Amino acid sequence: MHLYLNTYGTYLHIKDQLFEVRVPESEGSKQYQKHHVAAQKVRTIVMTTSAALSTDAIKLAMAHHIDIVFLERGGQPFGRVWHSKPGSTTRIRKRQLEASLSETGLRWVKNWTLRKMQNQADFLFDLLRHRPHLKASFTEKRERIAELQKSVQDLEGDRTADVADSLRGLEGSAGRLYFAGLSEAIPSAWAFKGRSSRPAKDPFNAFLNYAYGILYSRVEKALMVAGLDPYTGFLHRDDYNQLSFVYDFIEPYRIYADTVVFRLFSGKKVNQQHTDELSVGYSLNKEGKQLLVAAFTDYLDEDTIRVLNRNQTRANAMQAEAHGFANSLLEKDDDYETEDY
Amino acid sequence: MICWVLYDIQDNKARRNVAKYCKQAGLYRVQYSCFLGTLNGHEKDTLELQIEEEIDEEVDKVYIFPMNKSELQSCILMGQAFDKKLVSDEVRALFL
Repeated sequence: MHLYLNTYGTYLHIKDQLFEVRVPESEGSKQYQKHHVAAQKVRTIVMTTSAALSTDAIKLAMAHHIDIVFLERGGQPFGRVWHSKPGSTTRIRKRQLEASLSETGLRWVKNWTLRKMQNQADFLFDLLRHRPHLKASFTEKRERIAELQKSVQDLEGDRTADVADSLRGLEGSAGRLYFAGLSEAIPSAWAFKGRSSRPAKDPFNAFLNYAYGILYSRVEKALMVAGLDPYTGFLHRDDYNQLSFVYDFIEPYRIYADTVVFRLFSGKKVNQQHTDELSVGYSLNKEGKQLLVAAFTDYLDEDTIRVLNRNQTRANAMQAEAHGFANSLLEKDDDYETEDY
Repeated sequence: MICWVLYDIQDNKARRNVAKYCKQAGLYRVQYSCFLGTLNGHEKDTLELQIEEEIDEEVDKVYIFPMNKSELQSCILMGQAFDKKLVSDEVRALFL
């Protein structure tokens, strides 16, 4: 299970080789509830700010390959504790660096971007089934996304950097069409104007940002386990101006977050109690996070889909695709087959 | 597999240790001398060996019963009973 420590003043330490989580009964209270969780049952420990952690707890987590993720209030992961070994051979990282500077990288980036755009168009198409009144508007949006996809396919260059700006522009245009569509389709009380983050300008974006935060952390782990370097990006830069591979690889999976968040809103599961209004925007509060995380974890870890000829959870499929990508990098390596071990 | 561990152990220290091993194996305490949870074959063997070390075979009684999921679903629970989802590892995210 994924253990979410979400209460102000929580302390995670070890007792009898079990994780003991000490949670104050109310904010600032000296009365505590204690929960014991066996290390074998835990896959991830997610800690929000204002919680404490003992070094022995980190040690137990490392011994059981549990990663500890630290989240900002908005759900953006800002750090993690992971054992210091690369998940696999360093050869993968070398090939990844080469690919990031070659035409191979561009081919993959186009592939991920096209899949994302296709997911967006497909999702709008799905929404039409129960919303016939949006037919004219959505059909137009889908056609325009298809044109943008065509333009992405037609981009030519020797490496990603040659076409990065045009690619980002095309991707952004598709995103704007898609989110305008989502806003038309959710109950009118929740309608929103485009994407916004840090802070979100509306509850829908607050949910979406938190969901992307979870997904970001999941993708980062999948890449590390597959032996890829999350920081050697092909197209995207993160806020600290480093190229970040997580932002490239996440593209086809963003639809998972979109779907779960959209369903929560269209299924009237969200109400005013789930978000806090800030002076400049909205943020998810404890109830909101709980609602979202429960729904999103079920969607990723419980539901199965058919991928690579197997019924598997979306989380497993994501991991399998990360391994697949790593393997495809190795196959480009001519020495690899012939080398003696 | 879902496993029940039930015991009557006379010695206080041995009893405490057995309870500790059950918790470390990821079982949940459903009554004072009764644990329940999901184990794989390897975890079950480890637990068996650990308990064997602690008990006095002349006086103590320990049972490890495996049970399948559909049997768990047809269990009847009354009062302050355990959470079926928790013991069968279907709780994917725990908030504390």
